[in-house]
Amino acid sequence: MIGRGSIGGGGGFGRGRDSPSPSERYAAPVVFLLPATILIVLFFMLPVVTTIGLSMTDISTLTFRQPKWVGLENYRDLLGDPSVGRIMVNTARYVVFTLLFNVGMGLMLALLSTSIPARYGNQFRAVWLLPRILPAVVYVLIWQGLTREAPFGLVSDVTGISRNWITAAPWSTIILANGLVGASFGMLIFTSAIRAIPQELFYASAVDGATTLQTMRRVVLPLLRWPILFVTAYQTLSLLTSFEYILLLTGGGPGFYTTTVWALHAYNLALSNYFGNVQFGLGAAMAAVLVVIGIVVSLLYLRVFNFRALVSEPKVEVN
Amino acid sequence: MKSRWLIAAWLVVLVAYALPPAAAQQVVVIKAWTIGPDNPSVTRFNNLQTAAERLNADLRREGAGVQVKVEGFFDTTNWDSYLRRVLLASQTGDAPDIMQGNASLAATWSTAGFVISLDERIPGFPQFKDVVPALWDAARYKGKIWGIPQDTEARPLYFNKTLLRKLGWTDPQIAELPGRISSGEFTWDDVLATAREAVQKRVVDAGKGYYHRPLNGPDFVQWYRSFGGRDYDAASGKLVFNKAAALRYFQFLRTGVEQGVIERDRLNNDWNRFHQPISDGKVLFWSGGTWNWAEWAQQWVNDRGGEDYLFANFGYAPHPAYRKGGKPITLSNPQAYFVSAASKNKDLALRLLAYTTVPDLDAKHAVGSAHLPVLRATARLVNNRFLKEVSYLLNYTTFAPAHPDLSKWQDAVFRGVSAVESGQATPEQAVDLVAGEMQRTIRDQIIVE
Repeated sequence: MIGRGSIGGGGGFGRGRDSPSPSERYAAPVVFLLPATILIVLFFMLPVVTTIGLSMTDISTLTFRQPKWVGLENYRDLLGDPSVGRIMVNTARYVVFTLLFNVGMGLMLALLSTSIPARYGNQFRAVWLLPRILPAVVYVLIWQGLTREAPFGLVSDVTGISRNWITAAPWSTIILANGLVGASFGMLIFTSAIRAIPQELFYASAVDGATTLQTMRRVVLPLLRWPILFVTAYQTLSLLTSFEYILLLTGGGPGFYTTTVWALHAYNLALSNYFGNVQFGLGAAMAAVLVVIGIVVSLLYLRVFNFRALVSEPKVEVN
Repeated sequence: MKSRWLIAAWLVVLVAYALPPAAAQQVVVIKAWTIGPDNPSVTRFNNLQTAAERLNADLRREGAGVQVKVEGFFDTTNWDSYLRRVLLASQTGDAPDIMQGNASLAATWSTAGFVISLDERIPGFPQFKDVVPALWDAARYKGKIWGIPQDTEARPLYFNKTLLRKLGWTDPQIAELPGRISSGEFTWDDVLATAREAVQKRVVDAGKGYYHRPLNGPDFVQWYRSFGGRDYDAASGKLVFNKAAALRYFQFLRTGVEQGVIERDRLNNDWNRFHQPISDGKVLFWSGGTWNWAEWAQQWVNDRGGEDYLFANFGYAPHPAYRKGGKPITLSNPQAYFVSAASKNKDLALRLLAYTTVPDLDAKHAVGSAHLPVLRATARLVNNRFLKEVSYLLNYTTFAPAHPDLSKWQDAVFRGVSAVESGQATPEQAVDLVAGEMQRTIRDQIIVE
């Protein structure tokens, strides 16, 4: 009813009515925005508020029934923990290197698989999707099998150097295992973006005498700016909160927080303890910090990739 | 004529519906969650089902009109996920009637309000009278009993007899080793020296002189204690961290790594990397549990003769002292069944546990999983070589202290061990690191001395 009224309001000008009332004017935008707003409030705003609320209490296994308000004490504890710096550096390392691998590899796969006949390109991409459709536990089991000492591990057998490659090179293993899964995401997005580039542009660049590399550099990559922003931003936020492969591969070790990232540490504090006493409050404080980092990083991306220009109306209409 | 038959048939149907069936019994489902995580300990769950059959027979005899059905699971994944499940279920009011766990969880679970104290109910069941008294203490917190002992064990220092022979030890020397450890003559330093010799003479590969568990667990308290540490102050009821003892322990680990006796990445989160080399006969000394014996026999060396292979190759002793003449040590981490506060059938659940705490089921579990029985009668009943030979370890046994913040204490010590072994901190730095973490997280409940 409201929708009809507002749409009708547009036609009302023709019938000589005065300017529409505010309720008529905003009814349509409100109706269109409402579903998304409800979802955002329910699944983003509310969890954030709850997390921040929990982070100001001492809630744990022991105090679950009568948690006490402790204000910023959990945050003070985090600052006082000498290992927090190391965990922060680990997180940055994990996100940056995995991201470089993910996006770079995804881009390369997309460019390669679109430059060969579609029949082979499709098969090639299908193979790269396999790690993504495998459950994480099975995928990691395969990695564990590959990286064991001789005579059990394939890598040790092939290289002739018998060692457990996960503990010998934990970061490389984590980035590789994660990156191989993540690359397929970028590959799909970039492939569809490349496919959407009008053929005329390629003809034009060929007429101008551009080499394949020049075509990629001057034609394809500039047009992939939007999907690259999307994949980079999306993957950054995913990686900031993801820890399942690290948990399964190294458990945050070997040694002293060697591969422990922020999200894994929060998980360990808030939900996982060998002896059954978990610190929801402290874990929530860590999660809240992660939310802030995520927002800051997102804003930074929007700035770097000049989001406004990307969503502005196209200067040239291509049909 | 026809209508008369029809009326008679209807009458029969009506009567059948109106009268309660003669054998109508109310079935009460008792939910029980149990964990190994070692596979052979499945009797922690199966015994409850067997006990339910016996209980049902008695209930029928009593004409109670109630039958018990045990539902639930036996978890073989890990403690971490199991305890999380218990935690989330308890917090949402969905907890099972019976939960099995470390007896020391009495402190955490009772403080959290997940379980009920059983003191008033226990005297009603004669089955519980024969339980080894020390095991009740393990399930006691703040003067109350919170769990029914399920099993206990010891954590021996195992050694590979074949490798010692290769190193030049004679059979009598090998046979004497447990005695020398018990008397305090053979210390941690001797373990290290022997292992170093084995590495130098290439009897074992580098890093395989001494193995300990690959992840966090109760054992670290035991090793810290074996280096003279105390973790609990009975007078104040607070946890204690002794820096001198921790330094000795950390120095031992660091020296072991530097001498090529202990792997730098021993804490690698992978149990297969513990069991495989040990059962392949490639490790000289290692710390394990009695239940590992059943795991190795059934899962790792079954094709090589099972227990016979183990007896031929492996020996066991308590963990040594750190100085000559010191007292050896082992740690028992008894398991207990707890009755949850959310249970609607607490009395029936406890009665089921009484039917589970009987010699034949106790023995079945002990023999099948290489744990030690909880009933004195069972000890006399069981004729099992391994259990007989390790039961003397209980003379040296200790328990984890009952304190709700124990997990933070253990996490901190584990962090210290991981820092020292990986070479990311010196033993001195690691001690300060642990002390700092304890003071930060346990606050007024820790005494650092």
